[in-house]
Amino acid sequence: MINYAVQRFIQAIIAIVGVLTIVFVVMHLSGDPTLLLVPQDASAEMIAELRSQLGFDRPIYVQYLDYIYGLTHLDFGMSVVQRVPALDIVASRLPYTIQLAAGALLVAIGVGIPAGIIMATMRGSVIERILTAIVVTGQSVPTFLSGILLIFVFGVTLRWLPTSGAGELSAMIMPSIALGALSMSTFARMTRIAIIDELSKDYVRAGRARGLSLGQVVFRHVLRNASIPVITIAALEIGNLLAGAVIIETVFAWPGIGQLAIQSIQSRDFLVVQVIVLLISFVYVLTSVLADLVYVFVDPRIRLVR
Amino acid sequence: MRSRLASVAAVVMALLTTTAMAQTKDTLTIDLQNDAATLDPHLQWNTDSYTVYRNIFDNLLTRDASGKIVPQIATEWTYDNDTTITFKIRDDVTFQDGSKLTADDVAFSINRIIDPELKSPQLSQFNQIQTAEVVDPTTVKVTTKSAYPALLAQLVKLSIVPKAYVEKVGDQEFNLNPMGSGPYKLVEWKKGIETDLEAFPEYWRGEPPFQKVVFRAVPDVSTRIADLKTGKADLIRDVPPDQAASIESDSNTQLLTGETERVGYLYINAEAGPTKDVRVRQAIAYAIDKQGIVDALLEGYGRAVNVVGAEPIFGYDPDVEGYDYDPEKAAELIKEAGAEGATLEFLTSPSYPRALVEAIQQMLSDVGLKVDISSSDQATFLKRRQGDAENAGSLAFGAWSCACQDADGIIYPLFRSGSIWAKYKNEKFDALVDEARTILDENKRKELYKQAYEILREDVPGIGLYQVFALYGAAKNLEWTPSANESMFVMDMSWKQ
Repeated sequence: MINYAVQRFIQAIIAIVGVLTIVFVVMHLSGDPTLLLVPQDASAEMIAELRSQLGFDRPIYVQYLDYIYGLTHLDFGMSVVQRVPALDIVASRLPYTIQLAAGALLVAIGVGIPAGIIMATMRGSVIERILTAIVVTGQSVPTFLSGILLIFVFGVTLRWLPTSGAGELSAMIMPSIALGALSMSTFARMTRIAIIDELSKDYVRAGRARGLSLGQVVFRHVLRNASIPVITIAALEIGNLLAGAVIIETVFAWPGIGQLAIQSIQSRDFLVVQVIVLLISFVYVLTSVLADLVYVFVDPRIRLVR
Repeated sequence: MRSRLASVAAVVMALLTTTAMAQTKDTLTIDLQNDAATLDPHLQWNTDSYTVYRNIFDNLLTRDASGKIVPQIATEWTYDNDTTITFKIRDDVTFQDGSKLTADDVAFSINRIIDPELKSPQLSQFNQIQTAEVVDPTTVKVTTKSAYPALLAQLVKLSIVPKAYVEKVGDQEFNLNPMGSGPYKLVEWKKGIETDLEAFPEYWRGEPPFQKVVFRAVPDVSTRIADLKTGKADLIRDVPPDQAASIESDSNTQLLTGETERVGYLYINAEAGPTKDVRVRQAIAYAIDKQGIVDALLEGYGRAVNVVGAEPIFGYDPDVEGYDYDPEKAAELIKEAGAEGATLEFLTSPSYPRALVEAIQQMLSDVGLKVDISSSDQATFLKRRQGDAENAGSLAFGAWSCACQDADGIIYPLFRSGSIWAKYKNEKFDALVDEARTILDENKRKELYKQAYEILREDVPGIGLYQVFALYGAAKNLEWTPSANESMFVMDMSWKQ
């Protein structure tokens, strides 16, 4: 177990440093923020001067080493655009993203898994058809479109919910649904397949033969066995929710790190982007480790070795 | 039962609307695309930032509704000689902490923004200033490196910051907790989310019109429009022309338009590629139907122009002949230049209207040129557009405003050889615009710009397409007249009585 943890830890560090390096190089090669910062009538000399004041005229490897040196001292640098520590900027936005991801996950799991169970156990029924339609819609409507549609219907026309921003609880409803829809479909489909798969197994027939109802078999035995693939998906979906948040946060003016990422990339605010990348890769690694641990908990046959 | 429910609903609705109304009475909410990047007025100079911080600070000078430069913190100014100008400072202005604004603060503000230590991106707007000195508590003397006619226009953009406070708290803290002498003081800055301001009751120009002002960051334009229609926002800017009608027809909202000094223009690379031939550039000028663009794409919210300039700009001359839409003549010129079927690269980024770029592509292909559109993000676009002529594409669209209403702020940076935007060199033109930026005689300057515009007309290193009309969506009861330089001073707004 300790061996496993150490190995995973080393892998995680390599993965995160790799991602940081790639993003650093790609961002720097595609132009620095100086051109976006200066007023449009600035002369070439003025631009060169500001570039040198900001340190972007140094060779890229010097900037990189400087950056890594800062990281080892837990110094994430200053935002050149906002002149505030990059870490503070990201930290102030993080709670909003966590809120939204939690809301979306609630929609995804709360609707997706029951829908999957019903679709697997009531095959051929009208309910199954209705659910299938909902799942397909959730899967195929792009988030920017569903976001705008929701705002138009529930915000502008019916005036039930606020059109943008964070703050009141009601403001969370539309972005959570829009963001959670795709994951909801994924959960519903995976749950359905996993349960159908389990239902064809001998232990189910044995259980039914001993007089258990379908519901009893499903809830006592099948769900637990069907949960392994669903847990894997859940781990991946948390990452996807962070990625999907980029669009949803922009549409709903939700001040999370997705919106911040877009703004920082557009304004070439390198160090803020790096902190966000660091955070997202950390979340990815962490969720996959957590998923591994949950496997062991759910299925005692799985051992974490190597 | 049903009717009782309905009446309860009606009462609830009535209560909700009255509370909403009561709120709009003392709070003005403005949706911007982004939050201010900095609130230190000497750091970032982008629309969203200065829209917010210029309500916290006063400027040395300002412009009246007609665009004329008028006193604000300075009461009068005199030129001692070509490079020295003396400003008289008001002595009845206090900062929001109660301290008095003096010549010390004005000189400090000028010297601060030109200090390389501050690394201000605005330095280029003020780098012609050598120094600012205090003569007495109400007098400041500013020295420029050479005679500099655009000085006053640039000083319109200079916010006055309190010396004692900035020195006490330091630059970083000043950015987070700015304090000025303007009509509004900062209550809370939720970075990236919204900025809450509150009226400064002792403001020297009188009590500000709203108790509270909230600037929110709403990146998506459809969402900003939804906010306006539901009353979540009272004012939004940059309404796309195709949405104008829906704002006009809504009974809760109104469309406000401002004829700006901003000019939509087409850059043409005169130093590389097929457009190096002046006949090809002239052909492009003949091939573009400016009026068609204004009517079809801008829904009439714009005005076709003859040159890269517009009425509010000093030095603009409506009498310089433009190019009429004449596709046959264009095709002829292209044939003459042997450029039929030549490929032009049209650089653009998502910041520019795609439909316009495609319309121009179509117009040029109608006269025998092939246009490839290269779209990249803004940083990459700027890197190419401002870089080497060889790699700067053949065409690009832009919408230029120097917010200074002077030809020096538009044709100099766009076409003076050596400027990052210029892919063009004509020594005669260079001499004219150089001279015009170092003399103070207005009539002489006008004459020089007229000649410069005539050279541009012949050489076509760019084409003026239209004067931009800024479109704002506002709550029905908001009273405000947008200005040519697109500034948004809350002090000029009010609720209709």
